[in-house]
Amino acid sequence: MKKIIDARGKACPLPVIEAKKALSNFVAGDTLEVLVDNFIAVQNLSKLAKSENFDYSYEKVEENNFIARFIIDRNAKYESNELDSINCNTARSENIVLVLSSDKMGEGDEKLGHTLMKGFIYALTEQDVLPKTILLYNNGAKLSVEGSDSLADLKLLESQGVEILTCGTCLNYYGLSEKLAVGTVTNMYVIAEKKMKASMIIQP
Amino acid sequence: MRPKELQCLVTFKTTTEAMAFEKIAKTSGLKGRLIPVPSIISSGCGLAWRENPDNRALIDKIFEQYKIGLSKIYEIEI
Repeated sequence: MKKIIDARGKACPLPVIEAKKALSNFVAGDTLEVLVDNFIAVQNLSKLAKSENFDYSYEKVEENNFIARFIIDRNAKYESNELDSINCNTARSENIVLVLSSDKMGEGDEKLGHTLMKGFIYALTEQDVLPKTILLYNNGAKLSVEGSDSLADLKLLESQGVEILTCGTCLNYYGLSEKLAVGTVTNMYVIAEKKMKASMIIQP
Repeated sequence: MRPKELQCLVTFKTTTEAMAFEKIAKTSGLKGRLIPVPSIISSGCGLAWRENPDNRALIDKIFEQYKIGLSKIYEIEI
């Protein structure tokens, strides 16, 4: 059996509650698709799947339109009604902008700084809540080009819906304009706008 | 969230050794990378080398040849 819940336009945590309710009647072999209109809901549904050990995937149909898919390989049975891990603090987490203005993390030894930055971007790929946008400028622009050790991680983040924008002036200055390997080129107006509209700005 | 897969994970006693290993690994044909030690493991200096388990023999060879102090080698799903 395949069931589809249209949870678009429903406030958090309703999509998760409705999904949970539907899943409680499911048996092995069933599929549940939940249509949602924001990425926070996708992430909250992912937490639900994780806590119950269901097979989970999602696809971005278009901007503000996602399908979250649960595949049930056993008879579902809930013992708890905990929704503690559900994050509804949308104002804070909806528009997180990560700024990478250097290819090093922190002050100090240069080599260590590079290693830490690589580690930071890797660790970012393991987070439940991802930034909406990553801005890369000045030396940070060296992270999104061919040969960067962080390329695979940035590509993974992009595939999960993170917008990756690299400063074109910076790429040009460093002679890297032809080497951009993930995301798109941007300009200072967009960088200023993204920062002004951010609900939270993260800098490693 | 990154999908999990079976990986060979090498932890090191010191950060310097981890970084030295990275340098050698890149010229020795290893395809992996230095990552922060996953929180399910607590040993080592905080950095670990993540590698395809198929290359395990090459890892052993590098340690033997360069005498780098490794802390432990794991095969886990991360």
